[in-house]
Amino acid sequence: MLDHLEEKNSGVVLTVLGPIPTKELGVVLIHETLLSVYPGAEYAPEITIDKSEIFDRLKQQMLDFRRAGGKTIIDNSGMFHGRDIKLYETLSKTTGVHIVASTGLGPELMLSGYFVTPQKNPPTPWSAEQFSALFAKEVTEGIAVPRIERSSSAGIVTSIASQTGITEKETSLFRGSAQAAMATGVPVSVQYGADAVAELEILLGVGIAPGRVIIGGLDRLDAVERKDAFAVARHGAYVALDHVGWATNEGYVNDEQRVQLIVELFNQGLGDRVLISTNAVGVAKGHKAKDISYDYLLTKFVPMLHRAGLTDEQVRILLEENPQRVLTVDASAEQKVTGWNFEWDKLYQPATY
Amino acid sequence: MGKVNTVLGPIPTEDLGITAMHEHIGFGLPGCDLDTQWWKKPEEAFEVTLQKLRRFREHGGKTFVDCTGIGNGRDIEYFQVLSRRTGVNIVAVTGFVAADSALPYFRKQSVEYLTDLFVREITIGIDGTDAKAGAIKVGVSRGGKLNELDKRIYRAAARAALMTGAPIITHLCVDAQTSIDIFNEEGLPLDRVLFGHADDGGYLDENRDNLIADLGGWVGFDTIGYDSEVEGAPYWSRPRQDRVDHFLRFLKKGYLDRAVISADANCCALGWPGLKGHSVNYLFEEFLPDLRKAGVGEEVFQQLLVHTPAKILTMREPVKPKSLSLERVQV
Repeated sequence: MLDHLEEKNSGVVLTVLGPIPTKELGVVLIHETLLSVYPGAEYAPEITIDKSEIFDRLKQQMLDFRRAGGKTIIDNSGMFHGRDIKLYETLSKTTGVHIVASTGLGPELMLSGYFVTPQKNPPTPWSAEQFSALFAKEVTEGIAVPRIERSSSAGIVTSIASQTGITEKETSLFRGSAQAAMATGVPVSVQYGADAVAELEILLGVGIAPGRVIIGGLDRLDAVERKDAFAVARHGAYVALDHVGWATNEGYVNDEQRVQLIVELFNQGLGDRVLISTNAVGVAKGHKAKDISYDYLLTKFVPMLHRAGLTDEQVRILLEENPQRVLTVDASAEQKVTGWNFEWDKLYQPATY
Repeated sequence: MGKVNTVLGPIPTEDLGITAMHEHIGFGLPGCDLDTQWWKKPEEAFEVTLQKLRRFREHGGKTFVDCTGIGNGRDIEYFQVLSRRTGVNIVAVTGFVAADSALPYFRKQSVEYLTDLFVREITIGIDGTDAKAGAIKVGVSRGGKLNELDKRIYRAAARAALMTGAPIITHLCVDAQTSIDIFNEEGLPLDRVLFGHADDGGYLDENRDNLIADLGGWVGFDTIGYDSEVEGAPYWSRPRQDRVDHFLRFLKKGYLDRAVISADANCCALGWPGLKGHSVNYLFEEFLPDLRKAGVGEEVFQQLLVHTPAKILTMREPVKPKSLSLERVQV
C-alpha cells in the first residue's frame, strides 16, 4: 500500500498535452474511443470527414462528461483506427478534459498489408518484437502523425483479440503490446477474444507485472458466466467492465447484473482491481457504433452503484484510484520518454536516387 | 482517335506519346506511414521525383501511368503538381494493387460496391478532386493464387471496365486462367487487359505468356530493371540478361503487338527501400540499348512505347456488362 501512495504522490500519466501528475486525473473513463474510422473509410467517396463537425460533436460529449464530474478520457482506439492526435490536443485544451491516447493495433481483421504481408519473401507477418518496437517508440518518442512529425506520448498500449479465439497474429500483437508496455512503463490494455485467462497468460508470459495489465470486455456474457473477472483479478491484473450501458442483445450483461458483479468483486476483496467504462465511440466513420455518451456512466450507472450499497469510497476507488494507479507510468521502466526534439533531420531518412 | 484520363483532365490519345505503362510515383503498403523508418523529407522526395520525371521527359517520355492503388500512396493532388511542374502526363488508376494491399474497409465490400467505386473514380473523380482514373488496377495477393477477395476485385474491375471503357492493368499474371475465366464470364474482351509482371522472376511461365497473347491480351514485361545483379535487389528480381532473352523470345514468336514494357520503378518509395538507382529511365538507359545490341530496331520501340500504350489506354465506348440488369444501368 505504501508504494501505491508513493506512486500517487510522485507519479505521472502521459496525456496528449504531456505528462501530468497522476492526482490531477480525477474521474477516469478507462476505455473509450474519441474518433473511430474503420481503416480505409477515409478513402471511400461515401464517407465525409469534416473535422469541424467531428470536433464539435466530440467537444459537446466531452463537456457533458466534464459537467457530470468527469476529468479524464482514455482513447483506446490504437494507432490505426482514426486516431487524430492533433485534434485530441485541441480538444483537450478546449474542454479541459485530459485525454490519454493509445498506441497499438488489432484485431487481425483491422491489420493492414504492411504488417501482415510485408514486401519480402516469404511475407512473414510481423513478430512480437517488431510490434513492440513500433509501439514503444510511440511512448518514448511520441505518437506518429503520419509522415509529418511525432507528437506527445501514447499513455497506454492497446490491442484486441478476435472473439472467435485469439489468432497467431494477435498473439504476436499481444506479446508485442505487453513488451512495449513493460519497456516503457505504461499499462497494456486488451479486449480479450475467447479465453480471458489464457490471453492474460500470454501477456504475463513476456514478463510484465500483472498490475500493469488491463483485461477488457469482462462484462461480456460468456466471461461473466465463467467468472473470468474473479480469475483475472486474482492474478493481480485489472478487470475492465468496460461496456457499462450495454445489454444482453449486444452480448454483454445488463447494468443490473454489472452492478452485482462489481458488488461481488468488492465483497471478495478484489475491488482494487476493477475498472469501469462505457466503450463509447464519440464519432464513428465507416461503421456503426452504439449510441452512448461519455456522461452515461456518471449520470446513470453510478447512482445504480450507490443504490446497490457501494460506499462513496468504493465508487472513488473504481472511478479514480484504480485507473490512476494503473495509468501511472512505472518509473523503473527501462525506456524513458525522450520526446522528439524537433530536429527534422533525426526524424527523416534520406531519399535515395 | 479518342481520349485518355490524366490527373490534369482528359487528353487526346495523340498526345500520349512515349508512355510507361506500369510505374509508381511512390508505393507503400497501408500502415507503412506509421513507421518512421520510411519517412523522407518532403522537399527531398519532391526533388528526387522531379529529377526522375524530368529525365523521363529528356528521353522523350510523355506519359507516366501510376499504378498505385487506393490507400497505397496514391496521392492525386501531388500527382497533379508533379504533372504541372514537369509536363509529364500522369495517368492515375482506381482499384487495388492486390487484395492484401486493400484496406479493411474495402476488404468487406461486395462486387457491386467495388464496381460503383471504380466507376465513380473513372467518371466523377478521385478523393474529392475532379481528377479521373484512366485505368483500373487489380492484382494477385501474395501466394501466387487469386484469393476470394482478389476475385471479387477482378470481377468488379471487369464490370467497371465495360461500363467506362477504361482498361485493366494487373499486378502479376500468375494464376492467369482464373483471371481469364472471370473476364470471360463478365464479357470483357481480353484486349482491355494488360496482364502485368510476366517478367517477374518468381512467376515465369512462357506458356502462360503465349496463352495471354493468343487470346488477345497484353503481356507486360513491366518489372524491367529489377536485376538480381544489383545490390539490394528485391525478391522478384532476376538476372538482367535472362529478362532480355525472355523478351526477345517473346518478340521472335511474333508477339510484338501484344507486348508492353515498363519498369515498375518508384520515383521515391514509400514503405520499402526501393531499388537504389532504379527509375522509369532504366528503359531508355539500359533496356533499349540491350535490345539494340540484339538487333531490335527503332520501329519496334515505337510500337512498344507509343502505339501499344495508346491502344490500351484509349477509352472504349461504354457497354452494359452482361451481369447487370437493365434497371441498374438506367439508374
